[in-house]
Amino acid sequence: MTGAPVPTSRAGLAERQAELVAALVAGGPPPPGFAPGPLAATRAALLRKRAGDVARHWPLLAAGLGARWTTTFAGWAARRPTAGSLRDGWDLARALHADGALPPVAAEELAVREARLRYDGLRSPRPRRLPAVGRAGGAVAVQIAGRVRLLRPAPRVSTLAGDGVSDAAGSALWISD
Amino acid sequence: MTGPTGVGIGWRPEIAGFVAELPGLRFVEVVAEGVSASGPLPSGLTQLRERAVTVVPHGVRLSLGSAEPVDPARVAHLAAVAQRLDAPLVSEHIAFVRAGGLEAGHLLPLPRSREAVDAVCANVARAQAELPVPIALEPIAALVDWPDDELDEADFLTEILDRTGALLLLDVANVHANARNRGADPLALLDRLPLERVAYAHVAGGAEHCGFYHDTHTDPVPPAVLELVGALCARRRPPALLLERDGHYPPAAELRAELDALAAAAGYPAVT
Repeated sequence: MTGAPVPTSRAGLAERQAELVAALVAGGPPPPGFAPGPLAATRAALLRKRAGDVARHWPLLAAGLGARWTTTFAGWAARRPTAGSLRDGWDLARALHADGALPPVAAEELAVREARLRYDGLRSPRPRRLPAVGRAGGAVAVQIAGRVRLLRPAPRVSTLAGDGVSDAAGSALWISD
Repeated sequence: MTGPTGVGIGWRPEIAGFVAELPGLRFVEVVAEGVSASGPLPSGLTQLRERAVTVVPHGVRLSLGSAEPVDPARVAHLAAVAQRLDAPLVSEHIAFVRAGGLEAGHLLPLPRSREAVDAVCANVARAQAELPVPIALEPIAALVDWPDDELDEADFLTEILDRTGALLLLDVANVHANARNRGADPLALLDRLPLERVAYAHVAGGAEHCGFYHDTHTDPVPPAVLELVGALCARRRPPALLLERDGHYPPAAELRAELDALAAAAGYPAVT
């Protein structure tokens, strides 16, 4: 116990609720008087819950990361408040893709989503009206009149070096643990 | 419309097939935000309604404990879902899930203060004004406590129920979790709650992580929670008890065994 003082200010309930949520999901400072252990446990529990929700929307992203799904998601999401499970998973998939760290099945899932929906990273994804191609990690999906087909699967580990993805990224990612 | 009776299970799309084949089932609960107010119902739910199985919409995003007024659109949705399902009641939590424009992603506890009692009672009253059926309020499992609680758990809950006239949805696993994480006696809380107001009870599994018991809904129901079900029923048996399982679904035989164990602990007929 740090002996943190019980708040003496008359901050209203709304403001104090906002402080608690910010501390739990947005990296805000711990509100005065809260015990740090339970606060940390709550933060971790919220991230696990959120990881489960995102995994339901992005099953191949979660499956591709396997045993590392929860920690990967939690590391990415710890200071990012949720934008909803669809967008959270999409943002994470794009971030992993940018780092060359998106598993092949997850790349295929992302390519299919990119072909189906337009997502600017800021607002809710919307269906594309025109034919479109989605690409991610070598996977290619096309959408015509709302129907999406995966034209080319993402290459698996053995061919990735040839596609210019570093061995380090490959070994860090695809060796299951 | 019959109130929930006997042993039920939380309906989830992933276990819809399993639930559909439970011969003695009279009662399920469905997450209200997952049901469309006007679009097609999931076919599994339609079939249960055709069998006259009671379906209770369970809200998780209303945020009745927010200092701000509850969102009328969310209340309207819950009301519409209740109507669609011909539900005898709806349920929600004594909790808040968002504040300052941020979503917490799950249920957070209120300070047990007069100010919070006023806030939650005002929101429950706003919801009750629009809902076609009674509401049951569920106390949550919380790992964290506010530093300036004025009331204890029993007084806090009783005052909210008295002032709103709401029913109680008593989550036995939450009672276990809160007592376990605070070194308190769960039976002492049961002895002080208005058990005659319980519309139904929740029972769920959990697990220990880093020194805390977490009410995960993705693990088996531990023996201590089943024992607490027995202790509750010895005091006053709820009209219905519902098993909540939200992920890591076990094989059907294991889920059936959990339902049977719950029925045995409560002295209700097996639904399997």
